[in-house]
Amino acid sequence: MVPVDYDLVVIGCGPAGATTARIAAEQGLRVLLVDKRQELGAPTQCSGALSAHALESLNIAPEAEFLHEAVYGFDVYNETGEHTTLDYRCLKPEKYGTDAGKKPLGYVVDRRRFDRYLVTMAERAGAEVWLKTEGLGYQPLDDGACEVRLRKYNQDVCLRARVLVGADGLQSQVGKWAGLTTHIKMTELASCLQFIVDQVDTNGLLEIVTGHEWAPGGYAWVFPKGHGYAEIGLGVIRTMTGNNAQWHLDHFIRNSFLKDRLQHARILEVQGGGVPLAAPLRTQHAENLILVGDAARHVNPITGGGIHTALVGGLVAGQFLSELIHSDKPANATNLSGYIDHWLAQLGNKMWQLYELKKSIFSIKDIPQRDQTLYNTMADYFSPDSVYKKA
Amino acid sequence: MSVNNRKEPVVFQIGWNACIHCGACVAVCPQEAGFISPFDTIAVQTPCDIACMVCEDICPVTTITHVQLSQLQHAGAVV
Repeated sequence: MVPVDYDLVVIGCGPAGATTARIAAEQGLRVLLVDKRQELGAPTQCSGALSAHALESLNIAPEAEFLHEAVYGFDVYNETGEHTTLDYRCLKPEKYGTDAGKKPLGYVVDRRRFDRYLVTMAERAGAEVWLKTEGLGYQPLDDGACEVRLRKYNQDVCLRARVLVGADGLQSQVGKWAGLTTHIKMTELASCLQFIVDQVDTNGLLEIVTGHEWAPGGYAWVFPKGHGYAEIGLGVIRTMTGNNAQWHLDHFIRNSFLKDRLQHARILEVQGGGVPLAAPLRTQHAENLILVGDAARHVNPITGGGIHTALVGGLVAGQFLSELIHSDKPANATNLSGYIDHWLAQLGNKMWQLYELKKSIFSIKDIPQRDQTLYNTMADYFSPDSVYKKA
Repeated sequence: MSVNNRKEPVVFQIGWNACIHCGACVAVCPQEAGFISPFDTIAVQTPCDIACMVCEDICPVTTITHVQLSQLQHAGAVV
């Protein structure tokens, strides 16, 4: 094998990058994990909800260090407040609950602490971690390695690696370096805003509010945030409304059927982000390069959830790259094309099925019919009988 | 929605007081790599010749505006 400084350089210390780094390091690869930020998980661009199954499948213990609150199900509302309660403490009392021997359905995590926890796992597995380190570019070399240019505390650093992993999120620049089309269409990026608030009661359920009036193209939510706090947010598709997410969130809090419950909300944090309600990238690799997580649009197009898919994507990427590099095969585009096959094998065609489902809903011109279809779909999706059920 | 029918090159401006650094503007931007500010927004000191304005439209708090490059040049600004 040609000499390199690292087998992998991973750009981005979110759940996808940290998991890729951890799995690869556990398999004996030399891994460098970098992030330009000084505080991982910040600024928070995510509600932090994920299933218990997601943690279990990645051997991540539900540590108090990063958990805000356990959740036990969903309450899905239509525009006027009719709702379907899917409380797994009632639906499957033998499995879910607070009693000994029972467990939560999922959690709302503190993304700052969760991301730091995942990076700690990678570091303890043997990955080297550099913060305040920005990716500047990469260049495949004739000998089969690639050159990765970084800037660490204003010092330019040039490294040789076998593979560069772009885990640099929705705004991925790494994919663009390789000529991959990573930008997302306006019609498929939900513009999201959420407030962390005090003075709003919750009951261990993720509350999801559908309806064009409140969140055109997306949905609104009220999630428990632990210690008596809640998060109220929504995502909208801007081509479906003349108003921004900030206007819609204010409208939702002041005028929706939840207004009496939300009227005393005291805003403690303002967070926002773009959530891709898009299909995964068809091409997630290039010469000496793969993308993982949000950068590859590993996001559920129906729920907008991305933590679970990022973790699974990282697992797939770490395992695939370990096998490839240990087999002494060059990390060229031909060999890296197997990455998407492994990813499909793990997640099936589910992401594309969900994307087609989402497209079919939002192509309905009649707004009441579209609202009804979205409400039914969300209620079905989170039910114990869902065809998309994880476990 | 933002309007720039003539697609003249523009320079974007960010109202930093309202910016929540969510990165949505970069995620929809069709520019090549590097059209980004140190604060994870679209570039603010580099003219944009695509001028599609989707970055302005996606912003959750509508804090991105633009000035046409020709106006800045007329005013003698250095970009």
